[in-house]
Amino acid sequence: MRKGFVLWFTGLSGSGKSTLSKMVEERLLERGVPVEVLDGDEVRLNLSKGLGFSKEDRDTNIRRIGYVAKLLSRNGACAITAAISPYREIRDEVRKSVQERAAFVEAYCECSIEKLVERDVKGLYKKALAGEIANFTGVSDPYEPPLNPEVVCHTGEETSEASLGRILKTLEMMDLIPKDPSAEYSAEEEAEVAKRLKDLGYLG
Amino acid sequence: MSFFKNLMKKKAPRTMVIGLDGVPFTLIKKLSENGVMPNIAKLAASGEKYFRQMDVSIPEISSVSWASFMTGTNPARHGIFGFTDLKPQSYNIHFPSYPDLKAETIWDTLGKENKRTTVLNLPGTYPAREHNGILVSGFVAIDLKRAVHPASLYERLNAMDYRIDVDTQKAGDKEYFYKDLFDTLAARVKAFTELWKEECDLFIAVITDTDRLQHFEWDAIEDEVHPRHGRAMEFYSKVDSLVGKLLEMHGSDEFLIMSDHGFCAIEEEVYLNRILKDNGFLEWEKDPPEGIGMLAGETRAFALDPSRIYVHSAGRYPKGRIDEAASDKVRDELKEFFSGLERNGKKVIRQIFLKEEIYDGPHISKAPDMVLLSERGFDLKGNIRSAVAYAKTHFSGMHTRDDAFLISGKGALSKRPHIEDVSEMILEAVRGA
Repeated sequence: MRKGFVLWFTGLSGSGKSTLSKMVEERLLERGVPVEVLDGDEVRLNLSKGLGFSKEDRDTNIRRIGYVAKLLSRNGACAITAAISPYREIRDEVRKSVQERAAFVEAYCECSIEKLVERDVKGLYKKALAGEIANFTGVSDPYEPPLNPEVVCHTGEETSEASLGRILKTLEMMDLIPKDPSAEYSAEEEAEVAKRLKDLGYLG
Repeated sequence: MSFFKNLMKKKAPRTMVIGLDGVPFTLIKKLSENGVMPNIAKLAASGEKYFRQMDVSIPEISSVSWASFMTGTNPARHGIFGFTDLKPQSYNIHFPSYPDLKAETIWDTLGKENKRTTVLNLPGTYPAREHNGILVSGFVAIDLKRAVHPASLYERLNAMDYRIDVDTQKAGDKEYFYKDLFDTLAARVKAFTELWKEECDLFIAVITDTDRLQHFEWDAIEDEVHPRHGRAMEFYSKVDSLVGKLLEMHGSDEFLIMSDHGFCAIEEEVYLNRILKDNGFLEWEKDPPEGIGMLAGETRAFALDPSRIYVHSAGRYPKGRIDEAASDKVRDELKEFFSGLERNGKKVIRQIFLKEEIYDGPHISKAPDMVLLSERGFDLKGNIRSAVAYAKTHFSGMHTRDDAFLISGKGALSKRPHIEDVSEMILEAVRGA
């Protein structure tokens, strides 16, 4: 059995976390990987119903998502989470806890605030900038980007297919999902590549 | 009237780019002045607007440089930092290939504008994938079947006896090596001239055999009384003939000729991991180690080929213990150490680049913490098994960062170029056509 893992999306509201999580889910199902998506908006309707957006409530929400993701991943599944998860300390706490029995892959959806305000699909930034929504991450609440994410999706500049490709590639490299055989070096080719690089003094 | 005008209008010239892998500005200038490369000489004599020395990305190796060329971006945007990388959260080696390229290529951009591009033997484009045009992947391509788009090219190239690369494993047998170089170049001449006939708006063809010759035979190239100097010059003369042939077929000034880095003579190879170990930055669980995975937890920094230094950070590497707060201190110590590194009274390191000084983009978290640039003659290596810090081997040439060249057929070089600027020049030329 392959090692279970948590694919933890983090990024500002509207940066593409939910879209990408659904796209990854489809691709993983195609490759036979058992997968569950814990979407931030949905979790707040059940698991974290009643919680608000104070720092304390946000931390509780993330810890709950992290806990469920940990249970799923330690049983060999892939748990994809898509919540803003603005605080580095809590994300790192979840990372440590998950890594006891499974792998943790942090996917940072990076997008400038200017771009998000311009897009503003849900109209939330407009309201937040007008002061109608309090504690809005990126506007009136802080967001701490990850320092060493396993994968960065530059969602303001690249297509979602490009971001998806990068995420799948990272999961393949970490040996968490089966490889797409048409897309890269096979094991035999890797041995040959190593030989050729050694011949030119690039691999000691 | 306008109908007839349109009918009579000559098709706009395509843009051509010829790459000569690893050929230094200083060498090609010399060979154009001493009669070995007469076709280049005509262009080189036209002045600075036509022929200039060029800087390339760091580290100065083909996989990084050509990725910068084909995307017009720096490594923190295109994501290629070397021929090798470590897989996330592990010490397993990953060999970055075409799917790892994270920025859009020139031909992908042009494809969206309905322009066709032919790309031949460009390093870093394996396995081949579909684009609007033709692709024959270059180094490190393994299987020709997977190195071509469209698939029908495979049979055509085989019929021309095309080969992806020379066999560098046999480079010790000089007679064989030169024959292999000449045969491979002859096959490229056939393939390039044949595929020129295919419709395209942009034609990119790279000769990589120059780099192979220079790695193993730099002494023969530089030393005019070396027994194989004549053979080496004969090879450059053939390369010049191929350039002349392509330019003649092209018949337009919409072309660029370029290299991806320079070359110079090796005095000694420098084994960075041995030096880091001898100076208390690195520990192995077993010495000599069987792989980079044998780094001990006490390790503060390690090197990957050719000159990339990584802080052994907690969170980034399974056994890493350097936390964020301590990371800057380790970098400062490394900087101080490498600045003072000397060999027989000679300074080894010319310049030390912190990642934020040379890289800018969304993939900077994958970048080495520091990249070293050596003084000429000191060839930096990430070898993990060397028992000594310095040695001389069978390699005679090493790469340089500031001695690549660029030739512009229409004299468009108003300042010293950088390889990351070239794609914009190409896009302008193709769009203007």
